[in-house]
Amino acid sequence: MPLSPASGIGRFYAKSAKIIRFVRLGCTNRPFYHIVVMERRKNQHQPVIEQVGSYDPLPNDSNERLVALNTERIRHWLGKGAHLSTPAAELLGIAGLLPIHPRTYMSAWRNRRAAAEAEASAEKAESNS
Amino acid sequence: MHLLRQLRQVNGLRSLRQATRQVATGPTKPATLQYERDPQPLFTDAETQRLLQSMTQLNLDRVFRKRTVPDNSVETKFMTDEQLDSEFQQMVERAKQRLQMPPIVTIKKDEERIIAKDPALKDFASTKYVFTDITFGLRQSERKVVVRETDGTLAYATLETTKRMNQLYFPLEGRQSYNPRMFLLEELFAKCLAEHKYEFVLDRLLVQYEPHEPEFHNISARVFEHLNESKQFDLLRSTRHFGPMAFFYAWHRCIDDLLYDMIRRDYLSNAVELIALSYKIHKVPVEYLPTLAQLDALQITPAQRALAELRSVFRNREENQGIEQEIHTAIGKTEQDFAADEVSLKFIEQYIASEHALKKVQLELAVQTLKEVNREKLLLFQGLKKAHGVQAS
Repeated sequence: MPLSPASGIGRFYAKSAKIIRFVRLGCTNRPFYHIVVMERRKNQHQPVIEQVGSYDPLPNDSNERLVALNTERIRHWLGKGAHLSTPAAELLGIAGLLPIHPRTYMSAWRNRRAAAEAEASAEKAESNS
Repeated sequence: MHLLRQLRQVNGLRSLRQATRQVATGPTKPATLQYERDPQPLFTDAETQRLLQSMTQLNLDRVFRKRTVPDNSVETKFMTDEQLDSEFQQMVERAKQRLQMPPIVTIKKDEERIIAKDPALKDFASTKYVFTDITFGLRQSERKVVVRETDGTLAYATLETTKRMNQLYFPLEGRQSYNPRMFLLEELFAKCLAEHKYEFVLDRLLVQYEPHEPEFHNISARVFEHLNESKQFDLLRSTRHFGPMAFFYAWHRCIDDLLYDMIRRDYLSNAVELIALSYKIHKVPVEYLPTLAQLDALQITPAQRALAELRSVFRNREENQGIEQEIHTAIGKTEQDFAADEVSLKFIEQYIASEHALKKVQLELAVQTLKEVNREKLLLFQGLKKAHGVQAS
């Protein structure tokens, strides 16, 4: 599948619903995402209107996940009334561009709860043995 | 899957530890001399710049010498005299551009700038996120990089991370995303210095590091210290690194070796400029401006000299070459040069006699030798003039 250029070759209607979303690139077991603006009704692998960033979900050597955002264009499209997919909204929230998405808070307390439970069970196993 | 992720984390941690170990051992040994206060205002000062440029000199053959680049091709053209002259002027301008000195600025300290703290976000992910603004057309210095830590803190990234992200998304040609081994391993660095590859090291240093980074200061200081011991100052003459080197010596009060080299090579006006620079930096109450003004009146700037040298092509073609010119080419000095030498020697001897000079005996000897040579040249000059019947002016 040919990669469309960042400036985009996707055709779109002026009044159609646009969305800022991820496109999964990379390969099997190695996800890599482009953050793009495209028509909401389209499949993710169809030509995009514009690429506005990238997201590498696997931690790099210094144990950090890298995100690139073209904030100028993102703000432009948000101002034009583009929608946001949930993962994209979460990422923009973490970046401090938008308010934090509720789902981020949810996964945070779920992670904390899971960690606490694991610790408790580990302590229990220790005291038993 | 979970196991895999854990493994990856362990791997990440290990490489992180390796990286920190590398930073701890490298880049090489620390230099003994460092700028203890901000040298930038003094360095960018117009007068200092003029002195440093004059000391650097401008040898076109050296500035435009063949380099180890893919394309060293030469273009040959037919031109009229006017075209040739304008080409010469452009060439000197280009040479000046190539000799632009890298700035000497103080080391930039990392400061923590927190944008938001959100304890409710603690443990939202297993690793931190680094966000880079890739908006089109921003300069490297104004590109924002922010980090969301796992405890929910959003802060501007450290200088090191910012540089890494800039290099990742907007790579500079020639800059590596890792520290070159040359700067990291002491034995390789020492080998470069031992082979007197100063210009190569400094060029690479300029590409790899920003002037406000501690590595830049450390490595350049080590190179200059080594140069001061090996005394191969001529290797840097007519390169962009000569100015910062002279400034470094003047700042740290160790100009004597460079001064000796300048006197030995008969660059007396440069020696005066070096002494004046060190007086200026350390606010020594000696009037150097009148001497500099006198020298300026008697001599032309390096750029003008280079241009005159190029233009001598036109003069040679005209058959009626003046006898004065012939005497000048035979001896290498004009009457004005002799006058300038006298002014400079007076100033230099004053410096040697003062308490600022450290290697007095050596400098005095050099000055004496130069004086004798100059006297012989002057005698020859006068004799030639007499023989050709040119009136003394």
